[in-house]
Amino acid sequence: MKQDFLQIEVGKNYPEFQLEVRLTVAEGEFFSLVGPSGCGKTTLLRLISGLARPDTGRIILDGRDLTNVPVAERNIGFVFQDYALFPHLTVAGNIEYGLKIRRLPVNQRRERTRAMLSLFEIEELADRRVQDLSGGERQRVALARALAPEPFLLLLDEPFAALDYGLRRRLRRELKELQGQLGFTTIFVTHQQEEALALSGRLAVMAAGRILQVGTATEVYNHPSHPFVATFLGDANLITCTVQRTPEGILVQPAGGRQFLLPSTREEPSGSCLLMVRPEDVVFTHQDPVYTGELVTLEYLGYGFAAEVKVDANLLLKVLTGKEFHHTLGEKVGLAFRPRSAKLIPLAD
Amino acid sequence: MKGHFPWHRPSRPNRLGWLNYIFPLLLLFFFFLPVLVALGEAFLPVEAWPGLLAFLRSRQFRKVLVFTTTEAFWSALLSLALALPGAYFFGRYRFPGKRLLKSMMVLPFMLPAILVVLAMVVFYGQNGVLNSCLALLFPGRKVSFTGLYGFNGIVLTHVFYNFGFCLRMLSERWERISPQLEEASAVLGAGRLTTWCRVILPLLAPTIGYLGALVFLYSFLSFTVVLVLGGYLYQTFEVLIYIEYNNKLRFQQAAQLAAVQMLILAVILTFQRWTQHLADRPTGAASPLPQWRLKKQRAGWIFFLFYLGGSLFFFFLPLFFVLLRSFKERGRPEGGWTLANYRALWEPAFRFAVGTDLETVIGTSLLLALTVGLATTVLAYLLARARRGLPWGRLDLWLQLPMGVSFLTFAFGLLRLAGGFLPPVVLIIWAQIFLAFPLVYSLLRTACREWGEELLAAAQTLGAAGWELFRTVEFPLLRKALTSAFAYGVALSLGDLSAVLVLGQGKVITLSVAVYRLIGHYHFPQAVALGTLFILLAVLLFTLVEQGAAGEEPWKRGEGSR
Repeated sequence: MKQDFLQIEVGKNYPEFQLEVRLTVAEGEFFSLVGPSGCGKTTLLRLISGLARPDTGRIILDGRDLTNVPVAERNIGFVFQDYALFPHLTVAGNIEYGLKIRRLPVNQRRERTRAMLSLFEIEELADRRVQDLSGGERQRVALARALAPEPFLLLLDEPFAALDYGLRRRLRRELKELQGQLGFTTIFVTHQQEEALALSGRLAVMAAGRILQVGTATEVYNHPSHPFVATFLGDANLITCTVQRTPEGILVQPAGGRQFLLPSTREEPSGSCLLMVRPEDVVFTHQDPVYTGELVTLEYLGYGFAAEVKVDANLLLKVLTGKEFHHTLGEKVGLAFRPRSAKLIPLAD
Repeated sequence: MKGHFPWHRPSRPNRLGWLNYIFPLLLLFFFFLPVLVALGEAFLPVEAWPGLLAFLRSRQFRKVLVFTTTEAFWSALLSLALALPGAYFFGRYRFPGKRLLKSMMVLPFMLPAILVVLAMVVFYGQNGVLNSCLALLFPGRKVSFTGLYGFNGIVLTHVFYNFGFCLRMLSERWERISPQLEEASAVLGAGRLTTWCRVILPLLAPTIGYLGALVFLYSFLSFTVVLVLGGYLYQTFEVLIYIEYNNKLRFQQAAQLAAVQMLILAVILTFQRWTQHLADRPTGAASPLPQWRLKKQRAGWIFFLFYLGGSLFFFFLPLFFVLLRSFKERGRPEGGWTLANYRALWEPAFRFAVGTDLETVIGTSLLLALTVGLATTVLAYLLARARRGLPWGRLDLWLQLPMGVSFLTFAFGLLRLAGGFLPPVVLIIWAQIFLAFPLVYSLLRTACREWGEELLAAAQTLGAAGWELFRTVEFPLLRKALTSAFAYGVALSLGDLSAVLVLGQGKVITLSVAVYRLIGHYHFPQAVALGTLFILLAVLLFTLVEQGAAGEEPWKRGEGSR
């Protein structure tokens, strides 16, 4: 497996927006780009596919410089957000389209189309007009069409965005299975953190045209290197603090709270930084609480409760608890953090 | 970031942007140069200004201004007043045949003006069908309609022209007003009248204003109708420009008239743009319309049937009688059935009245129309394609401006600019492309944007490029819009009379000119026969436009074949 199967270092300037990205994707990897709308995810996909040209930099795929190769010659599959199925062709016609363009002999074309229809379990839709398909069926046709010409790389631009929650979950599970089975290299764009965490081998978090962090789902979730990453992937309490190395460990003094020790690691910053604690890592306690405050909101979630505790005018801490919960609104409560759960993030520039 | 990867280097800048601007600027140059020449004739000579001021103070100017604005005002008011009740039924209910009726309603709007005039003469003229009916109904009492050649006839013809498209546009707007708004108003205690005044009318008002401005504009610019039915007593600015230029050979006077008219048009266009902007605002999510129930709404049905019958009588019988009379001896209602009128098209009398034979007339018309249709479609398509990814911008608006410039002014400027070295046929093609371009362009621009970048991008990622991309995706998707655009270009060319009269200098004779000359020579039997052939051709083109223009319809932009 080639670790640098896809190498990207590109820049693109728009009047209102600048994209600068450096990234490598391994062969056969399922890589996700996650970030808020307008952060440049789709632009990056368009640059990779050749639908847009970078102002600076290059794109290398499997050792071949694609930067100036026309889009039609790249053999990169693309599944668009609205699928972009050709309305004047049937389902089979859509899947066969890329093979026809490549002038494959008729029998090979038909065989490959049949294979794709069968792979995606849409044989009975072969002669249907694409306008008559449901969202999930369209998504399958779009995937089949993109994969039919056996592309070097598959780009998926928020392919589940138009689907309801249940269907989205089912289809993403199927996509993951299919990718594992066929082993095609995939770059998947989404603005939904849950989707990115569930699907990806590795993922990159983007904001304002830059990649802020790249890593596996657990790395990025548990060890965010940027406050934006911490809050974008899941809920997070961010507290300013000062940090001091001591022989016992790292002494953290959170703003307005009681100091506590964190175990020493090599990368922990010192001086002023941000303390990140996920709501599920905050616990109610009477003994030596880091913070004391008033319970101001309480929402029942079925599997537990989401609560907010007002520590002072500037600090509201989010807490996620289990089903066992005995406090009431307005009550004074103490809060502490689970051991090893709190992370330190250098203050952003 | 630079330098981290060994292969880093600056890549090429985007080289395509300039095409989006140079091409339209060239088009604008060719479109507006003749207009500038006309304006130059009006204002550049030293003696121009005193002459202009004298004209503005003259009785003739006041007379033309008063007549043009008055007839345009009444045409707009009556078109809307007649369309409003029909719009209610079409906009509020589903009923069998609705789609066909809606299509038929805009047919008069797409007909060449000279055919409409012919139909009006056949039906409302001195010896027309209406007077024959009146004579039968009131024997010996000399009850007759004599107002066709004059103010009433001109307004009547303009209403005939515009009523159908007003009805269609108003009803389509009404369909987009959610019935739930009426229900919400009722729940809040409002009666039907209050709901209509406080909820529906405010939502319809911008469309009513927009349509009023549009009908006013087209009636203001009316040429063929007023030329034939107005004689020398009733003249719009367009007719006066034509008379000054063509009959009296007073070029500067004609240019000054054109300039004054352009100033007035600018005011009307500004108002029209403003109302269009208001009319384009959303009116809430539309809901499916209820089916009209005959048993429960019997009174409504009866009223609607009367309304529909009246409309069909008023708008379709005149056209039908052109067809019917073409098979009557000497074109008279009391005559026997015959094909003699069609045979007469090949007789010397036809050649004498028209100036050439029928084959030449048809050949010239088709050659001009097909050339104009093709050239306009290709130019508009290339431009729409180049600007596909861009939002509708100022440049697109500039390309729509020919709609607001008097066509006669343009033709007149073109003749002064290039009449000395270009043959009349080329001048006519140039002028008619100018006439057809705004609508053909907006049709194709909308179609190109509607199908969007994404489908083409998808095809490109699957390996299609260049001709293959056009053949396999772009053409199949745009086929209907291209057909519609082409048919519209052909229809406009066939229907044009003013450019052929001004630029053809008597040497180019098309179907419109032939019908005009036959009416002028009182050769009605041949006029109705040729008119029938012309109507069939227009209906065929209309069908093509109607089936192709799903997204953008000519009447939605207020463009007829005038």
